[in-house]
Amino acid sequence: MPFTELEHTADILVRVNASSIEHLFAEAARAMFSFMHEQRKGGPVARTLTLEAADMDTLLHDFLSELLYAAEVDNLVFSDVDVSISGSTLAATAYGEPFDPDVHAEGAEIKGVSYYGLQIRKTEQDNHYRVDILFDV
Amino acid sequence: MLESLRKLGGVEWEIPIGYTPNMNVPGKFFLSDRLAAEVEEGAIQQLANVATMPGIVNYALAMPDIHWGYGFPIGGVAAFSPDHGVVSPGGVGFDINCGVRLIATPLREEEVDNRRELIERLFRAVPTGVGARSPQKLSIAEVKNLLVEGASWPVEHGFGMDADLHHCEQEGRMEEADTAHVSEKAIQRGVPQCGTLGSGNHFLEIQVAREIVDKDAAAIYGIAEGQICMMIHCGSRGLGHQVCTDHLKTLEQAMKKYRIDLPDRQLACAPLHSSEGEAYFSAMAAAANYAWANRQMIMHNARTVVADLYGVDYGEMNLIYDVAHNVAKFEEHLVDGRRVELCVHRKGATRAFGPDRPEVPQAYRATGQPVIIPGSMGTSSYLLKGTQIAMEKSFGSTCHGAGRVLSRSRAKKQFRGSTLKQELEQKHIVIRAASNAVIAEEAPGAYKPSDEVVRVVDAAGLSRVVARLEPLGVIKG
Repeated sequence: MPFTELEHTADILVRVNASSIEHLFAEAARAMFSFMHEQRKGGPVARTLTLEAADMDTLLHDFLSELLYAAEVDNLVFSDVDVSISGSTLAATAYGEPFDPDVHAEGAEIKGVSYYGLQIRKTEQDNHYRVDILFDV
Repeated sequence: MLESLRKLGGVEWEIPIGYTPNMNVPGKFFLSDRLAAEVEEGAIQQLANVATMPGIVNYALAMPDIHWGYGFPIGGVAAFSPDHGVVSPGGVGFDINCGVRLIATPLREEEVDNRRELIERLFRAVPTGVGARSPQKLSIAEVKNLLVEGASWPVEHGFGMDADLHHCEQEGRMEEADTAHVSEKAIQRGVPQCGTLGSGNHFLEIQVAREIVDKDAAAIYGIAEGQICMMIHCGSRGLGHQVCTDHLKTLEQAMKKYRIDLPDRQLACAPLHSSEGEAYFSAMAAAANYAWANRQMIMHNARTVVADLYGVDYGEMNLIYDVAHNVAKFEEHLVDGRRVELCVHRKGATRAFGPDRPEVPQAYRATGQPVIIPGSMGTSSYLLKGTQIAMEKSFGSTCHGAGRVLSRSRAKKQFRGSTLKQELEQKHIVIRAASNAVIAEEAPGAYKPSDEVVRVVDAAGLSRVVARLEPLGVIKG
């Protein structure tokens, strides 16, 4: 499983696992998309973004926050994303479709990406990357 | 229950300095034995983390609806001294000035026999749920004005009455608001959403005042048994969320500059009178103003529906009060016998000022401030009054709601939205929601009983019950 939901009473807490840092970022975004809208068909609309941050934890936080912003102001429902990271810079393209209330109404409005416990770690047993992310809903 | 949670007596509990390293003050909880047995370790740790913040005064406080959040626990209150204290978005949350307002209509329960039609009309009049946009098309310039003017902006533009403003906490406007510190991104998010409810636990409910506990206070607040009321619960929408996201970033940088080291990044903060602290405070105040304007516009649309459907005069639907439960504000409090101005953060907690405070509207001043505690879906909500004891024990604060005990995903596994809807309808509660999933997530079984939480604040004297309201119909996002 690329991500699992952990128990948190008030909000949504997910644990994301991936074999590379790029995959970790992409899986974290896909996890977020899956909570935002339960039904998604995917689509041809693409949004690109470039971000820079002092460390990977902040870069992940900013990346997810930026996707939340883009989805809301452009009225888009994202389903997938490509991520590349070079040094402290991220370039990503998110793919989706225009919001349609008949299709996309079921889901959670994510208010923000919390820094609480957000720390990317490398697991010793399989050399994978892991992070827990708390979304405020 | 954690061994280190020590009972002081009655409903008061404490974790001592030393529970976690670098605590400046103890943590104090208001809990019944039952609630103390259920409180999450994560929530206690978060309150202990708050106690490590610079300039915190007396205690880090937890209301009985405390639960595990991020930064502050939900139900957390902390006051900071102006000299050494800090301001933190972690003590306010993403949904700045999430709050509740209660409106009394002149209708009696027996007059509202077509609830389904009423709820359906409200659902059409108030944009609700994920992706909903307001029918009022505001320009960027109008949103900027509204960020400064708060609830008075919609009132001046025909969405309410002057009297409404006097019955809002802070008269629906924080004067510290400055749009210079609100990003373009935040404003863009605010443009299409003013007058929308949002999703999750936000709602608009039709209620009946089922039980009057304090007749004198009820008469002063203008509520009588059998009276139909409306309750609106929502906040500052995407604009507030963006303000929090933006300023967390700048305050994190500021922590390094001011050499503040805290155990949770979400507690990012800066000295109250630093440029970074003031920038956040003024942006937070602007977002709080947006939330008051948002609830004002929703109330206007709801009043219009009731006026059309029942022939009620718009002016006869009085706003009893509007409270914020996610906000930081400067307030005067007595500390060691001296009157000092503190910055009080309430995250999932409600101001509950007692009698004679100048902030309480003239008509209510002898009684104390009305406090509105929404129940979970299908359960009772409460109207209470603030007390002098709250001024002495909790910086004039009380609880804000029921508090979750089950995660949303567990609630969805345990409950079915369609079944819950039927069960509620058997109790003659009509529900209209954007999806069945949100009904399951917000199942009453996923929350602590609001009765217990209210009983504890009443027993502690932090606020006193005036009336109990039961739901008749609800719209949810």
